Amino acid sequence: MSLTATETQPVDLAILAVYDDAQIEGEPDFVVELIDLYLNEVPRLFDTIRKSVANKDRSTARRAAHSLRGSSANLGVLQMATIAGELEHLENDYSNVALELLSSLENEFERVKEILNAERQRRSA
Amino acid sequence: MRILIAEDDEISCRILTNNLTKWGHEVVVTRNGNDAWRALCARDAPSLAILDRVMPDVDGIEICRHLREVESPVHVILLTSLNRREDLLEGLEAGADDYLTKPLDAHELRARLQAAQRILELQESLRQRVRELEQAIEERKAAEEALRNLSLTDQLTGLYNYRGFINLAEHHLKISRRETHPSLLIYADMDGLKGINDTLGHRAGSTAIAAAGQILRNTFRDCDIIGRLGGDEFAVLVPNIQEPESTKVIERLRHNVSEYNEMSGHKFTIGLSIGAVEIDHQHAWGIEDQMARADEIMYREKREKKGHEEVQKKPA
Repeated sequence: MSLTATETQPVDLAILAVYDDAQIEGEPDFVVELIDLYLNEVPRLFDTIRKSVANKDRSTARRAAHSLRGSSANLGVLQMATIAGELEHLENDYSNVALELLSSLENEFERVKEILNAERQRRSA
Repeated sequence: MRILIAEDDEISCRILTNNLTKWGHEVVVTRNGNDAWRALCARDAPSLAILDRVMPDVDGIEICRHLREVESPVHVILLTSLNRREDLLEGLEAGADDYLTKPLDAHELRARLQAAQRILELQESLRQRVRELEQAIEERKAAEEALRNLSLTDQLTGLYNYRGFINLAEHHLKISRRETHPSLLIYADMDGLKGINDTLGHRAGSTAIAAAGQILRNTFRDCDIIGRLGGDEFAVLVPNIQEPESTKVIERLRHNVSEYNEMSGHKFTIGLSIGAVEIDHQHAWGIEDQMARADEIMYREKREKKGHEEVQKKPA
């Protein structure tokens, strides 16, 4: 599969690289730490979203989507940030659309995981 | 600088903390609004707070509002999501000093912190200056008070003050005893000064006190000792006098008071309740005991006048 020029990268590694500036000397790699936090957090948020959509608990779902959007944007995971933003601000036809968005988030996360894990490997090497 | 962070999102919190630590700041991390509020109310509260707009318990805007209610000097930077202009305005209205949008731009954060630090330093030097001025005022007041305590005259009337009167009168009593002369002690208390203050204001009250002092001055001789003991109370010690002169001089005082009231053109009238005691040269009492006697007699007159006024106040 070839990427077209207009397609957004799942992860903007340049954004991640900015956090090297915040690296404190003598401590473990800060970017690796952020990647680990993110990879841990996302499945938890997916879980929360799925359960709260099923329970029609929109405010919990919205809060989880908000967190997901924020964390994704922080790590340069831009596509996921966009989709999470849509989910956060969803108004009508709630459950169906929400589940559709959740499944595209999960698909996207598979690609993101690969890239982040590769980056993690590269840095830990 | 000591900086408080209130951010429930773990990743944002770590990014903030690492950056701030790296720049040499001391970071106090809280993960919800309640903890943040407690930390900001503490005695050694950080001078700057970075508060997330959205938190599960108490959000950043609410904390801002509380801080301004208690007039906290904490400089608040609010964190809001991009494109949420209404949050931003609400935050500034609630008393935030500045805002930053997420995802955070480290360069922007650093620049805002430098601006904040300048403001905080200015505010601190202002507060310091105010403290210095307040202290200077206190010192000056204390010095004036000390001077007043040292002085023997009353500023408003130019008569002797309590201290001056007692010292001089005591001395005169001793001379009178030695030279076997009787003296007259008059205690005079103004009537209705409170009413003048209440209805015409304190400046009119002061004018009335000064006028009473002037009446006393015009009534008595240069060698008599006249003092304003405080508030609306006056005393005169007339050395070397006896009846019928004693009665005459008191009548002259009453006459001068009513003459003043006829001529003055003021909205108020001056009234004096008078108590007088003759002091025999054989009397061994000191001036303060004599004054207590005179005060008692004066008070009797005052009470009688009040009764009289009650009768007069009936509608005409």
